[in-house]
Amino acid sequence: MTTTSANAAAVAALQHALAAEQAASYGYGVVGAYLTAGSAAENTAGTYWIAHMRARDQLTEMISARGATPVASAVAYELPFPVASAATAARLAATIEDRVTRAYLLLVAVPQAGPRGFGAEQVRAAALRAESWRGSTEAFPGLPASSLRR
Amino acid sequence: MTDESAGAGLSRRALLGSAAAALPVAALPLLLTACKGVQALGTPPPPAPSIDRLRATIRAEELVVATYAAAIAHLQASGTAGAGSALAAAHTVQAEHTEHLAQLRSRLIEPAGAPSPHASPLPTPAIQAGASPSDILAALEHAEQAASDRLIGDLAGLPPALAQLFASIAASEATHVPFLQAAAQT
Repeated sequence: MTTTSANAAAVAALQHALAAEQAASYGYGVVGAYLTAGSAAENTAGTYWIAHMRARDQLTEMISARGATPVASAVAYELPFPVASAATAARLAATIEDRVTRAYLLLVAVPQAGPRGFGAEQVRAAALRAESWRGSTEAFPGLPASSLRR
Repeated sequence: MTDESAGAGLSRRALLGSAAAALPVAALPLLLTACKGVQALGTPPPPAPSIDRLRATIRAEELVVATYAAAIAHLQASGTAGAGSALAAAHTVQAEHTEHLAQLRSRLIEPAGAPSPHASPLPTPAIQAGASPSDILAALEHAEQAASDRLIGDLAGLPPALAQLFASIAASEATHVPFLQAAAQT
């Protein structure tokens, strides 16, 4: 892989992760709206929302440093299912984290140490957040079943 | 009589023999080498660093699975309060480690007949006899965090698909820590 194509691949993966973080930031706004004010779940959602905003800012910097323009966030995002209660809000939060995990796993495929290391740390952070919403674990967070050998 | 016709009556063996006799001495090792086949090409190159890291990761995962087996045996024997939830959590996590091990092993493709690298016996799992369920879970949490950190720190230079597998397993192992902590509190 040439330096130019390696940089283009890194930028593409960073943009994908940024888009996932932008969607996560929007999604956590919905999640927070359905959680009881002052509850532990609402505090958790607030903490995680800040984590996503920070990651979004880091990705924006990494993309700009590579001479590319960060993708703009959408005005609104379609939710994967209707949210009307604290339970469905928690399920949405877990789903958001699953999507973020998958996006960062694409960044791990980039050979460059910086994006790969950042991606791996974010895969782990998102999987931990998903576990906290679900209370259960997965053997292979973010990996599609088709990539596993049977 | 032409040169062509002069050779017509000779056997192939006689021609080859005379040709070898006419060769300078320096050419003989080359001929002999050709008779030795593949072995004469030299020793195979050392395995790529990613293969060594994959083998080390498989070894580490085997140790984690063995540690869980020891932990489960201790919890089953203890019969104390809290052992039930700890036991259920340990079984759940051990099953995921078994899946990790299977996937890691599936990525290690070695030539048929290649000697397997020397494998020393697994070290004794760090579970103390007579430990309480909470102590056992704490030991497992420590092992999980260490395994996750080791995988995350071992990604540089790996092929993309293997790096993704390592990162996913590292994430899974990190999630085992709060999962085990929750089991310890019930």
